[in-house]
Amino acid sequence: MIARVQTFTLLGVEAFDVSVEVDVASGLPAFSVVGLPDAAVRESRERVRSAVKNSGFEFPDKRIVASLAPADLRKAGPGFDLGIAAGVLVSDGQLPEDAIKGCAMAAELALDGSVRAVPGALAMAERAGELGLEKIVVARPSAAEAAMPAALGSQSCRVVPIDCLHDLTYLGTTGEPSYSPPDSAPVDTTPHPGVDLEELRGQPALRSALETVAAGGHGMLILGPPGAGKSLAARRLPTIMPPLSDVEAMEVLRIASVCGQNRPHANGSGPQRAHRPFRAPHHTISPAGLVGGGTPPRAGEVTLAHRGVLFLDELGEFSRVSLEALRQPLEDGEVTISRVRHSVRLPSRFVLIAATNPCPCGHGEDSNKCNCSALAAQRYRNRISGALADRIDISLSIEQPSPEALAGEAGESSALVRERVVRARRAALSRQGCANAELGPAALREHVTLSREARKELSSGHSRFGLSGRGHDRVRRVARTLADLAGRDEVGAQDIHGALAFRRRNTK
Amino acid sequence: MRTRQNSAEWRIRRGERGWPECLVELSAVDEEEPEVLYGYGAMDLLAEFGPDRTVTIVGSRRSGAYGREVARELGFGAASAGLLVVSGMALGCDSAAHEGALDANGATMAVLGGPAGVPYPRSKEPLYRRILASGGAVVSEQPPGTEIHPSFFPARNRIMAALAGWTVIVEGAHRSGTQHTVKQAAQLGREVMAVPGPVNSSLSELPNELLSEGAPVVRDAQDLLDHVLGPGQSRVRGMGAELEPALLDVLIAVEAGAGTCDAVAVALGLDGHDAAVTLARLELMGYVAGNAVGRYSRTQLTPPIP
Repeated sequence: MIARVQTFTLLGVEAFDVSVEVDVASGLPAFSVVGLPDAAVRESRERVRSAVKNSGFEFPDKRIVASLAPADLRKAGPGFDLGIAAGVLVSDGQLPEDAIKGCAMAAELALDGSVRAVPGALAMAERAGELGLEKIVVARPSAAEAAMPAALGSQSCRVVPIDCLHDLTYLGTTGEPSYSPPDSAPVDTTPHPGVDLEELRGQPALRSALETVAAGGHGMLILGPPGAGKSLAARRLPTIMPPLSDVEAMEVLRIASVCGQNRPHANGSGPQRAHRPFRAPHHTISPAGLVGGGTPPRAGEVTLAHRGVLFLDELGEFSRVSLEALRQPLEDGEVTISRVRHSVRLPSRFVLIAATNPCPCGHGEDSNKCNCSALAAQRYRNRISGALADRIDISLSIEQPSPEALAGEAGESSALVRERVVRARRAALSRQGCANAELGPAALREHVTLSREARKELSSGHSRFGLSGRGHDRVRRVARTLADLAGRDEVGAQDIHGALAFRRRNTK
Repeated sequence: MRTRQNSAEWRIRRGERGWPECLVELSAVDEEEPEVLYGYGAMDLLAEFGPDRTVTIVGSRRSGAYGREVARELGFGAASAGLLVVSGMALGCDSAAHEGALDANGATMAVLGGPAGVPYPRSKEPLYRRILASGGAVVSEQPPGTEIHPSFFPARNRIMAALAGWTVIVEGAHRSGTQHTVKQAAQLGREVMAVPGPVNSSLSELPNELLSEGAPVVRDAQDLLDHVLGPGQSRVRGMGAELEPALLDVLIAVEAGAGTCDAVAVALGLDGHDAAVTLARLELMGYVAGNAVGRYSRTQLTPPIP
């Protein structure tokens, strides 16, 4: 008799269906796994054999074939262990066929028969729900993650957490384990505790720029010497951005789940937090690490930063190749990685914050402490041009705040600033359906109406500063956000002035 | 600012107290020294500024933007260094030189071809009034009521040339009124300087020719001041539009070393956004400039004293 269990394999940030079919037939004892298994899947034979034996079952001395369909999809990872074991037991008649009916499985087996969590439980549970399956069996540590789609209102199925292979005997009975989310809301969309904008003191213009970035989703460049608070500020940006919608939260959680970023609680409880992610890769990162790649393709930092903030500190130290690789994610909001067999699309819609010292030594050419040559300083700044330049709408030079300011009163809290940001973002969404940073030239013409004085100021900015066409667009985008923050329908002269102050300067 | 003078017409005869002595030299070069000068505005300008503290800035009537801009800058620079700027109130360079001097709240005098009571050309009447209001003067050798005649204009050029120790030629073609002024000044032994121009522009024929003959080059007001007052004696400062108090406060903060929006906001207790907006306005007006990394510093431009 053939037993069929639904399992999944991960590719990019999605779960793909893999049906495990197991046939236990008479013949010379053998155990083979077919259907493009990778090393981890082929080794699952050994784990399954021991786990079955050590869970009070009997491993059949028969000819066993486990087939993973579709046969042309490359399967990776240990997540098929549980499905194969269940298939063996059902096919051998040690478990009733009803036990695995309408059931998906995702867990790794230990030799003693206990089960281990695998990455991607959330994506798999979501996919199981889409397939109309009744339940998904996972290791207890992944239960909270697997229950997430239901909590966020996606199509979903029941989550059955188990501790060991023997628990399969409870499936379909009244003793079937079930997962109930803890009393507190499982999805907490409030930002990271302990990180708050009020810690940013004595830098009012930086606060204002961050608020503009949060409201409009603009890319930002912070220029300043070491210790000026560039990282501190960037780290606080997610706390003032609009809360994630359910759909966005799902995207963020799915990526975190597939990439193994969710550190599950040992007891399977505790809230999973869906914050806007903050990613700050080190400047030695490879292009593949930044945008994703490898075989099978894995998500890079830009995908982990999806719906959140990607912070590139020491921009001038990143390799040019890495920065050039950012072009596609910045322009399209996703990365496409093509391999011979398939291509994977990884979402990557993030707010870019770049920080750099004004020159290689960090003090700035105006400072008497600086000993960089003019050429070196210029070459350093030139890194900013190219792929990133078009996405950086806002640039601000900062310096170390004075000791008095640091000791002074705390600034406005994230919660207060976020209220204004949410209002401004809502205005943008109801007007054009996207954040201001995503306004293209045609949309700018349609949605950004300038008052007469604003037009005059923009054209005088144009002639005095020699703004390029794109520079022009950037000023209008930022001015639109400033007007949204101030609650104005029409962009006024003061909005243009604000945007001109924040404009990215010609670094040549 | 100079005090406002009675706008009644005055006249001064040759040899009277206050008559500009330098005009006597005209007779030495077989030119006619005027008998009487009629004028409006500050009569004492004639005696107050001798030729050693007076520059005449002249140029073509049909000047280009280049000529007007340079004339304006020279007028401003000379006047703010305390020199009297003399010109003919003609269209183009002449008027620009007067305007520059007026923007600097300095002293300027227009020598007209027709009678001093009649603004000529008519379109320059606002400038005429502005010169008088600022404490400047308008003079002419023609008695009131005289009909304007084309021959008056070359004649007044000799007065302009004689009044000043230095004459700057901004733009001018061959066989122009400007060339006439050059000739007069050279005969009087006054120094003639010229502003270089594009070699393919007829407007630059005269200054470029003067330069090739060895006239001192005037590239900017600093060159002019270096010649008149001695090298490095006076630094040129630019001119700017008027500033409201909030802008002036920020400008002073930048002058005191606040180089970023944050520093300005903290120094003045401003909101970060307001500081950014104000700095952008000052940058648009040219009072401050941001460098490649966006740090602000003060430019040469000075705000008019309120």
